[in-house]
Amino acid sequence: MNPKLIEAKGITKSFGGLTAVKKVDFHLDKGEIVGLIGPNGAGKTTLFNLVSGVYPPDEGTILFNGIALSSLKPFEICRLGIGRTFQIVRPFLKMTCLENVLVGIIGRRSKEGNPKEKSEEAREHLKFVGMEGRETVLANDLTLNEKKRLEMARALATQPKVLLLDEVLAGLNPSEILQALELIETIRTKLKVTILWIEHVMGAIMKASDRIIVLDQGEKIREGKPEEIVSDPRVIEAYLGESDA
Amino acid sequence: MVDNMETKKILIPLLFIILAIFPPFFLSQYWLHVMIISLFYVMMASSWNLIAGYTGQVSFAHAAFSGVGAYVSGMLAVNLGTSPWLGILIGATVAALLGLGLGFLCIRMGGIYLSLTTLGFSEILRIIITNEDQWTRGTMGLQVPGFFVEYSKASYYYLFLIVAILFLILIYWIIHSEMGLSFRAVLNDELAASSSGIDTIRVRISAFTISSAMAGMAGGLYGHYLMLITPDIPSLGQMFLVLAMAVIGGMGSFIGPVVGAFGLEILSEYIRIYGEYHVLIFGLVALAVARFAPEGMVGIIKRRWKKGGFS
Repeated sequence: MNPKLIEAKGITKSFGGLTAVKKVDFHLDKGEIVGLIGPNGAGKTTLFNLVSGVYPPDEGTILFNGIALSSLKPFEICRLGIGRTFQIVRPFLKMTCLENVLVGIIGRRSKEGNPKEKSEEAREHLKFVGMEGRETVLANDLTLNEKKRLEMARALATQPKVLLLDEVLAGLNPSEILQALELIETIRTKLKVTILWIEHVMGAIMKASDRIIVLDQGEKIREGKPEEIVSDPRVIEAYLGESDA
Repeated sequence: MVDNMETKKILIPLLFIILAIFPPFFLSQYWLHVMIISLFYVMMASSWNLIAGYTGQVSFAHAAFSGVGAYVSGMLAVNLGTSPWLGILIGATVAALLGLGLGFLCIRMGGIYLSLTTLGFSEILRIIITNEDQWTRGTMGLQVPGFFVEYSKASYYYLFLIVAILFLILIYWIIHSEMGLSFRAVLNDELAASSSGIDTIRVRISAFTISSAMAGMAGGLYGHYLMLITPDIPSLGQMFLVLAMAVIGGMGSFIGPVVGAFGLEILSEYIRIYGEYHVLIFGLVALAVARFAPEGMVGIIKRRWKKGGFS
């Protein structure tokens, strides 16, 4: 039996008159990769922001290991063990790659480890995401692919149990996508991190996920195994619009 | 190569410190005074840079905190006969506590709201000091004792030099520590920092408190050196001068405010004949620098250096 790592019940979030997320229930089991898909404006990123504490939900509860997240701030949620990346990448642009990752290590606030060990650990994280040799480069001078990897390294440095990935494949070329998929699979198998993953690159997310959640206009319209999702008429309709026939 | 860099990092400051021992032997009393005032501005501009340059909080209360330090220490000396040495420590502590309080109040707002609130605080403090003249003697100024029994500019010069160096060592240590790294993370991207486990509010309040304490200490020293404390110390004119020094010298760089403080203070001795307009000119230059060379003089020189192929 897989214990539920994250359990969200009835979460709702409105911005003015717009309800971005409407009474959504979902859960994450330990060790899963769950894909979160839906057309633009479906509320995927809002859902991420609710889980990572950027803003609290208007209604509903989110439990992580049994702890309620709704009143916690992003840094507290991060320290509990939920790391994230951003749809529009947000590395610390005027800092080096090594410093970027060090911030994640400092964020854990563990007392152990002297500065030397910490920077050694940061190097390890950079190596893990395939950025060995880029330690002293400013984040601003990286390619998009590297910025996305750097964000993953920074998130991994916080030692998350759950990783929220927001469109890490968008804008990458096919060979970069293959490498990224490999990396994500390694994160799951080697680091035992559970992953909730927003993606528009359908082929990739269908292949990599154990389970898919589909959002449309703030509501969860479907949940299931990838092969069930691709053939579901409601999902196709949400993406392509209603058919006339 | 690495060793070479490390020794350079220690040798160059050491060279400057050794050179700094000599001015009292050949400078006139007047220029020694200018040096002392410059050192005061080094403390002010560098500690302001710690919050504005490294965490991005443009506070206008820095001169006000130096006024707090000056008046607390001065009034203790006048009314209770407290030694100025103890007084400046108490002054710095009071400034730190006020900084902590003001920080709690307005740092959550951030950005322009922080600037406006600190601006308001600064003016309120100046008005209180001006009006409560039974305690502060208002614009007449409060006469306070100095640090030394025998007045000598050289002793003050060394006192200010030592404290300024201690400030700079402390600031250097902070910006190169984990705390400094979290300062810069907050400056770069607050949401990303928070999502990486950094308590951004705490980081910003600590920076604000530390820098307020430094301003309080600097103000205390300044007051006991001048031996006359007036509401000019916590005035906005003073604040903009400090701001101009940090901005023109180079905000967010360690050495920028030091260069700016000496540069502008010495320059203002030459253009003093134009009266208070010199602050206006500095303000305009600071605006131009902020727009066209946001890294200040130090940034321009560094870029030139690199182009010249020295590194």
